[in-house]
Amino acid sequence: MLDHCSISHKGGIVLWSRSFTPDASQLAASSASPVNSLIREALIEGRTTEEKYEKDGYAVKWTFVNDLELIFVVAYQRILQLTYVEDLLGALKALFVKMFQPFLATFVASLHAINSGKTTVVEAASAFSFADAFDGWDKMFDKLLRSLEDKAAQDRKSRLRPVVRAPVAESSSPPSEELETLPTQSSDAPQDEQQIARNVQALKNRLRGRGGKRGGRGGGRADAASGRESIPGSDSESTAPKRKVTAKAQRKWGDEAPTETDMASLDFSADSAGATGASHDLQALVDEASLGTRTRDGMYEVKDWEFSRDEDSAIANALKPADAKATPTLGALGSLFSRLTGSKVLTEQDLKPVLDGMKQHLMKKNVAMEIADKVCEGVGESLVGKKVGGFQTTNAAVRLALSTSLTRILTPKTSTDLLLSIRTKLSSPLTSTQQRMPYSITFVGVNGVGKSTNLSKVCFWLIQNGLRVLIAACDTFRSGAVEQLRVHVRNLSMLGVNGATDSKGRVELFERGYGKDAAGIAREAIAFAKDNDFDVVLIDTAGRMQDNEPLMRALAKLVAVNTPDKIIFVGEALVGNEAVDQLTKFDRALRDFSSASGAGKGRGIDGMLVTKWDTVDDKVGAALSMTYVTGQPIIFVGCGQTYTDLRQLRVANVVQAILAD
Amino acid sequence: MADPAATPRVPTWSPTLTVASLFLAVLCLAVLVFFTRRTSRSTGNLLLLVGPPDAGKTAILSTLAYNQTLPTHTSLQTNASAVTFSPTKKPSTVVDIPGHPRIRDQVNEYLADTKAIAFVVDASTVSRNGPVVAEHLHIILNALTSLPPSQALPALLILAHKSDLLKSGSAASATSESLAITRVKTILERELEKRRVAQSGGVGVEGLGEEGERTEMGGLECTGEKGVFSFDAWEGGEVSFLGTSVKVGRTTDEKAEADGLWALREWMEENA
Repeated sequence: MLDHCSISHKGGIVLWSRSFTPDASQLAASSASPVNSLIREALIEGRTTEEKYEKDGYAVKWTFVNDLELIFVVAYQRILQLTYVEDLLGALKALFVKMFQPFLATFVASLHAINSGKTTVVEAASAFSFADAFDGWDKMFDKLLRSLEDKAAQDRKSRLRPVVRAPVAESSSPPSEELETLPTQSSDAPQDEQQIARNVQALKNRLRGRGGKRGGRGGGRADAASGRESIPGSDSESTAPKRKVTAKAQRKWGDEAPTETDMASLDFSADSAGATGASHDLQALVDEASLGTRTRDGMYEVKDWEFSRDEDSAIANALKPADAKATPTLGALGSLFSRLTGSKVLTEQDLKPVLDGMKQHLMKKNVAMEIADKVCEGVGESLVGKKVGGFQTTNAAVRLALSTSLTRILTPKTSTDLLLSIRTKLSSPLTSTQQRMPYSITFVGVNGVGKSTNLSKVCFWLIQNGLRVLIAACDTFRSGAVEQLRVHVRNLSMLGVNGATDSKGRVELFERGYGKDAAGIAREAIAFAKDNDFDVVLIDTAGRMQDNEPLMRALAKLVAVNTPDKIIFVGEALVGNEAVDQLTKFDRALRDFSSASGAGKGRGIDGMLVTKWDTVDDKVGAALSMTYVTGQPIIFVGCGQTYTDLRQLRVANVVQAILAD
Repeated sequence: MADPAATPRVPTWSPTLTVASLFLAVLCLAVLVFFTRRTSRSTGNLLLLVGPPDAGKTAILSTLAYNQTLPTHTSLQTNASAVTFSPTKKPSTVVDIPGHPRIRDQVNEYLADTKAIAFVVDASTVSRNGPVVAEHLHIILNALTSLPPSQALPALLILAHKSDLLKSGSAASATSESLAITRVKTILERELEKRRVAQSGGVGVEGLGEEGERTEMGGLECTGEKGVFSFDAWEGGEVSFLGTSVKVGRTTDEKAEADGLWALREWMEENA
C-alpha cells in the first residue's frame, strides 16, 4: 500500500527510510524522489500548511517534530485512498521520539556545533553508530503498520458489507470471510426486485397516510439488522459517529420502506435507553461476544486488544495521549523562570494570539487574506515545540520566524536575469539549417494594470542594452491600443543610445489593425523579427478578466502557437485579495488550455511585473501574495511615469516594509 | 525583575535597602549579559560547504563528522558539525549550507568567520545544469570579492564531487578524479564567461530603495588580455580544484585514506 516512508533530520540526513517496492526504492535514491520534491517545492517555499503534496502520481504527507528537527514523510500512490496515513504519521512520530529521544538529542546537538560546547560533542559524534542506534525500530514499524492496515481494512470491509449475514456465517473464521460475502450477496440479488416492488408499495401506502404495513419477512430482517447495528452501542464512545453512518447505509440497503415504525425500531444510533432498550442491549451483548471470539473485527477493538499485550506495550505507551507528561505549572513565576533559563517551550496557546496579531498586521499591509492565513499557519507550525531562550519573547520569536519565512517566499528560485537569458539564447550555437529565433516575451494581465506602459519601459531598457526590439501589437480589441504603442515607439526611437543621437531602427512596431486574431499577429511578428534580424519581440496582449473563459482560451492559444520564451504576468500593487484569484486563474487557464491545444505540458506564468508600486507606500503585500501563489519571481517593478521608472525588487526592502509597523 | 524605579514609591525604605536592591538588579543584568555573550559564539574558523542542491554537501559532512556516509535528501536548514582532522589540532567546525536558491543566501551570515570555502559541484550532472551552477558560484565569488579588505580572504576550493559516477571512457591514463576536475573547470569557466560578457555591456535595472547601492554583481574580474574569465587569472585569489566521491552506506573506520575524501581532508586540514 505505502510506497515509501522516511524519517529524517531537517538538515537533510536520513535517519531511517524504507521503500516498499523496487521502483520506489530506485526512485527514492535519485534526486527526483518524492521526498526531495516535497522539500524543494512545498516546504522550502513555505507551503507547509497544505494537507498533502502530489507529484508524479505520488501523494506525500508529512509531519514535523520541531524540537528535534525531524521530518516524517510517507509517500503512496495517489490513486489509493489511504485513510490511515495520518494516524500512521502521528503514531510514528510519538513512537520514534519516545524510543530514541536521548540519541536524537545528541545527534541534533552534534549538528549545531557552532552554538554548543564543542569537545563533548566531538567525542559523541565519532562514537555515533546509526545502524545500532535504531535497532529494533524496523520491527516496531512493521507492527505498527500492520496493525493500522488491518484496522483500515476492517473498517473498509464493514463499510462495504451490504447485507447482514446470518449469525451462523459470522462464527466462521476470518480468512473465509471474503469468500462468504460473495455468495450471500449474489443470493440476495434476485430478492432485490421483490424488495423494490415492496418498497414502492410501502411508499404508496405511506403517501396515503397510513401507518407502516410490514411485509412478512420484514420483521425478521429488521431484527437481524438490529442485532448487527447494536454493536456500536457497546463500542467505545469514539466509534459511535462512524458506525452511525454505516447504520444509515444499511437501512437504505435493507428491504423496508422507511415507515415510521421502522424508523423507530431501527433507531439505535444515539441512545438505546428508550422503551425497547433492554431487549436490544441483550442482543448487543450476545453479538459482541461472538465478535470478540470470532475475528479482529472493528478498528478500535484491534487497537486495544493488540497493543495491550506485553510485547507491544511500548507502542501502546507511546500512543497514549500525552496528558501524563503535562508538567505542573508554577504559574507566572514558573514561566518566567523557565524563560530565564532558556527552556520555555512554545505551545499553540502561546502562539495563537501572537499569530493572530501577525495575520491582522499582514492583512493591513494588503497581503491577501488567504495568503496571510497560510503564511501565519506555516510560521506557527515551524515554531510549536521550539525552545525560546533568554529574554526573547514569543512575539520576537514569531517576528523572526515570519521574517525568515517572508524572505524565503520572496527570494526567486530561478534566475531573474532577463538580459542574461536573452544573450544566452541569441548566442546559442545553431546548425546550418536553423535560423536564429528572436527572444519573445508576452505580457498578460487584467485590464488597466499597465501592460502597455510597462512593456514600453522594458523596451527602453532592452534598447539601452543594445538590443533590437520589435513590439507586436496584439491588443486588437481596445480602441487606441495600437496608437498608444505607436506613440511609445516614436518616443523610444528618438531617445539616444550609446552616443548615437537617436535609436532609429532599433525599435519598430508590428501592427495589423484591430479585430484580428491575436495569435496570428504574434506569429507573423515573430516571423518578421526573424527575417529582419530583431533580437527581442515584445508581445502586448489585450487585458482580460480571469473569469472570461473565451478570452482566456484565446490567450492560451497565443501562448501555445508561439511558445514565447517568457510569459510575464502584469499585476498592480494595489490589488488585494483579488491577486490570488487573478494569478491562479491565469496560471491554470494557460496551463490547461495550452496543453490541450498543443503537444506536451502546458506553460504557466514565468514571472511577474508589479506596477503602480509608487502608489502603495509600504503596503506592499501584493508582492507577497503574488509570489506565494505562483512561486515565480517578480522580475520588475514599475514605479512611475517615465521610461526609466523600472526597478528590480529587493527582497530585504519588501520584507522590511511588510514587517514595519 | 527587580525594578529600581519602584523604590521611591515606598518612602519608609532605608537607603541601604535601596542600594541593596540596586545591587541586585545590577547583578542580575551582569549574569544575563554573561549568558547571552557566552551563547553568541565566536569561533572564527569555519569551513563552509556550499554549492547547488544535490551536489552531495550533506553526505560529505556526514562522512567527515560521523565517519560514515548516511543517505541524505535536500536540506531544509544549515548543519554545523565539529570535525577533528588531526589529533594534534583543535577541532574545526564544518558548516553545510543548503543549496536551494531560496535559502542559499545564508552563506553571508557565516562568511565573516570563515577560513575556507568548498564549493561542491556534482561532476556527473554539471554539463546539464551548468548555468545554474555558474549562477550560484557567481554569487559566492561576488560575496568573496566584496568582503571588507580588513578580513583575510577565505581559501576557495571547487570540489568536483561524485567523480565515481563519471565514465572515464577511452582515456585510460586519466583517473576519474582528474577527468571530473577538467570537466567541471571547463564548463564553469565557459558559463561564467557568458555571465561576465552579458553583464559587462549591460545597463542594469536599478534596485528599489536607496540610491547608489551597488546593484550588479561583480566578482568575475580577471587579469590578462580582454579579461576573459578563467580561474587561474581570477583577481579574487587562488582557486584550487579537487575530485572526490563518497559511497552511501559505507563506514570508514581508522583508515581515512581509503575513502574518496582523503584529498578534501588534507585540504581542510591545511586551511583550517
